[in-house]
Amino acid sequence: MKILVTVKQVAALDDEFELRDDGRDVDEDFFEEDLNEFDHYSVEEALLIKEAAGDDAEVVIVTVGNEDTDDALRTALAKGADRGIRIWDESLADADGIAVAKVLAKVVEREKPDMVFTGAQSADFGSAVTGMALAGLLGWPHAAVVCNLEYSPGSDTATLRRELEGGLEEIMTVRCPAVLSIQLGINEPRYASLRGIKQAKQKPVDELTLDDLGLAADGVTSASRVRRMYAPEKGQAELITGSAAEQATRLAEIIKELRGM
Amino acid sequence: MFSSDYDPENVTRILFQDFPTWMLVVFYIIAIIAIGVFLYGVWAQIRKYRRGVRSGAWSPFWPRFHEMVATVLSHRTIKRRSKMTGKMHAWIFYGFVLLFIGTSIITLDHDITGPLGISFWYGWFYLAFGLVMDLAGVVLIGGLLYMMYRRKWLALPKLDYTRPDRAPGDPDFDRSDYRREDWAFLWTLIIIAITGFLLEAARVVWLQNDPMVWDVRWHAPVGTVISYVMMGLGLSPEGGGDLRMGLWWFHGILALTFIALIPYTKVQHIFTAMGSLMARDPDGKRRMPSADVDAEHIGVNHLGDFSDKYLLHFDACTKCGKCHEACPANAGGYPLSPRDLVLSLRELSKDTFSGATMPAEPVQVIGDGPNMIRPETLWSCRTCAACIEICPVGIEHLPMIVEMRRALVEEGEFDPMLQPTLQSLQKSGNSMSESKRKRPRWARQLDFKVKDARKEPVDVLWYVGDYASLDPRSQKVTVAFARILHAAGIDFGILYEDEQTAGNDVRRVGEEGLFQALAEANIELLDSCDFKTIVTTDPHTYNTVKNEYPEFGGNYIIEHASSMLERLIREGKVAMPVDLDYRVTFHDPCHLGRINGDVEPPRQVLGQLDVDLIEMPRNRDNSFCCGAGGGRIWLPDPPEMKKPAELRATEASAIEGLDVLVVNCPKCLNMMEDGVKGTGNEDNFRVMELIELVAEAMGPIDQPDPDDGGASKPEPVGAA
Repeated sequence: MKILVTVKQVAALDDEFELRDDGRDVDEDFFEEDLNEFDHYSVEEALLIKEAAGDDAEVVIVTVGNEDTDDALRTALAKGADRGIRIWDESLADADGIAVAKVLAKVVEREKPDMVFTGAQSADFGSAVTGMALAGLLGWPHAAVVCNLEYSPGSDTATLRRELEGGLEEIMTVRCPAVLSIQLGINEPRYASLRGIKQAKQKPVDELTLDDLGLAADGVTSASRVRRMYAPEKGQAELITGSAAEQATRLAEIIKELRGM
Repeated sequence: MFSSDYDPENVTRILFQDFPTWMLVVFYIIAIIAIGVFLYGVWAQIRKYRRGVRSGAWSPFWPRFHEMVATVLSHRTIKRRSKMTGKMHAWIFYGFVLLFIGTSIITLDHDITGPLGISFWYGWFYLAFGLVMDLAGVVLIGGLLYMMYRRKWLALPKLDYTRPDRAPGDPDFDRSDYRREDWAFLWTLIIIAITGFLLEAARVVWLQNDPMVWDVRWHAPVGTVISYVMMGLGLSPEGGGDLRMGLWWFHGILALTFIALIPYTKVQHIFTAMGSLMARDPDGKRRMPSADVDAEHIGVNHLGDFSDKYLLHFDACTKCGKCHEACPANAGGYPLSPRDLVLSLRELSKDTFSGATMPAEPVQVIGDGPNMIRPETLWSCRTCAACIEICPVGIEHLPMIVEMRRALVEEGEFDPMLQPTLQSLQKSGNSMSESKRKRPRWARQLDFKVKDARKEPVDVLWYVGDYASLDPRSQKVTVAFARILHAAGIDFGILYEDEQTAGNDVRRVGEEGLFQALAEANIELLDSCDFKTIVTTDPHTYNTVKNEYPEFGGNYIIEHASSMLERLIREGKVAMPVDLDYRVTFHDPCHLGRINGDVEPPRQVLGQLDVDLIEMPRNRDNSFCCGAGGGRIWLPDPPEMKKPAELRATEASAIEGLDVLVVNCPKCLNMMEDGVKGTGNEDNFRVMELIELVAEAMGPIDQPDPDDGGASKPEPVGAA
């Protein structure tokens, strides 16, 4: 029995930051990187299933990223996952969720897991698309925002609960294998001690290229592209009081000010 | 039968006088069995201790032995904070030791040197011996009577073994066996002592017609006085002889039983306490045990993970309850008493490690079973070291707790509230979930630039610390201290974004891997800077850099802000023209006062401020923790518990007319302000940092260099 968990190393912004010169992202001096918060929960869910199942269950962590993302991988491994896979190619630098899903689909074909868990979304970009796209590419069932899961390894179906709008929840059964995007709060993620993270260096991590997966760079093109990132100007409201003439004068001032006259 | 023509030079006592041979044989058989039982017990105990990890804690042997003997003979540790008990214990101790030496001398003379033809137990030595033994017996009985009075009538809470963290019906709830054992011990000893005197008296009655006995009877005055009473009651010499024979056997068998039982009962503390005192680490309260973070396994979750020294500590506990009384967690109703922790481990090791073979499975220490240590017990600790400080037999509770916490952290078993803190520490090197960039932001409030010690040489490197850097209330103190240093013309700098927490609390919470990573990173950074000394306002940082960084190759001269201020004031570099007309009391930070002994500098500073200092009952080494230490500042205190800071605020509020409760640590400041509010004292007195008082007394600070800008309208720095 094998569960594959996809994780992402995300950026946590400082409250004061600057943008990159090309204006398409935040300058990396102004954020710190960490394992995506949602992924703590998806990894934990896989580990709980593994622990309940006994020794013959395997949890494999997969990430798409350069060697800096080993930290996130090792955090997940330190919690008790068995091995890791990291795929990187420079052409993936600006990859969106669709491109990442294409890569992950190849990994799933290679690993043939019984179940794939993703976080409900990433804490930095929040597209919530990777899991869904992955299921689409694989032709597997998918459930998003899973907040409760009953699954025993080897069974053909899993029963789960999902959060809907308006405080509703739905209970559904999915055929396995399936791709499930896991919501915060489904469990209490364990702590990975720094000692554990260091010792996780001993655990096997396969470093793969697109070639290894039989993919070419043009096979993983993104479906979208970030054009510009900016902090929107904060809207201001001002209540203009006084006589009609005074109000008109003030209004004219504001218009002139905004137009830079 | 009487030696009527004795030579006074040769006066002695005839041992086993009138004993038939069979009696002698029986006595020697019993004595040998008793000694055999004793020796087996001692061996079994040593075997038990050797089942722990070898610590080498007893070497170098002679200096440690010497220190232990000095401690035992002076009774220094027993007398601390309980003079009368210490004195009475000394009576028992010296009485017992003298009587033991006396018995040994007789054995030596009669059974060892005597058969070789060498005798010394006669004449003046014999007479002096009798007098000393009588005196020792009186002293012993006096001490024992006091202890009986103390147990029965003083009803001290610290002698109540009922566990606040167990329910009636739990097997380890009231430990009533201990109470029975205490009384059996006192009664046995006192009966041995009293029958000794009665025996002496019966012998005088019996041998009243023997001049060798009668003429020198006043050399055993107590026995002789009793003999007069016996004769007055009509006891004949023959009756005396019968009584002597009966008492001789009763006294002898009781004494031999006592000796045989030493290793199996609380009497063992005679030896275990000495062994424990010898193994005592003088830095045990300052420096947590080192650990190999690359090892397969870290911390203690099995009994066999404890070192031999700790296994001995468990048996050394005399249940005196001084730690129980001093512990802030226990005082607040938390499920921790250092005494009960040690006693649980004692019972656990007795149940599992005493047998001829080791248990097949490793013995779990942490859990909910009887005599196991519950996780919530371990998380209640504030690592204030009050227990280690006062333990008369040198038990080191705190390192035990930290070792067990290490195992819990490795298993991820802790309050979920702790996890974000530890993750923040891993990610950004601070406990406040703030980015690294925010750390030096407090310095923007200054009208001068603080030097960047990473880039230029400074005399003094200021290690600011987490709370002092990032907690809004503490930042005011930090800013005030920067202004004082600036006004005093000190060449100082900080590490800006690259400073990470020094790790005192990280280590004490049990995250050893993270602590060592922080220590190594900080040491690497410090070593790359050019400075002469380090200063910090944070006693936790102070303790760790001073006492724990040397293990990782970081050797620095570090000073706490209080010592530096004291010196600057003494050298006239800080002028304090404003009179502060306050009545204050001083709350010693554990890591400064008790743990590092720096109790006078803050008081000397207060002395220079001309404030009216009234001490709280618990001060200096007996200061009462604010409740922040050991990572507890990161964990919420449950509402049903009494916060240590509230207990402390209540203690301060008893001082009439108190204006200011002075603290000297960013964490104390945080906790005590809550404590004062929580007890409704916010209108009665304020909490202020010592630094704020100094700043207030300095008045508006004149900047030494007007070109720095902003000097024209300086703010009064202490106006919080």
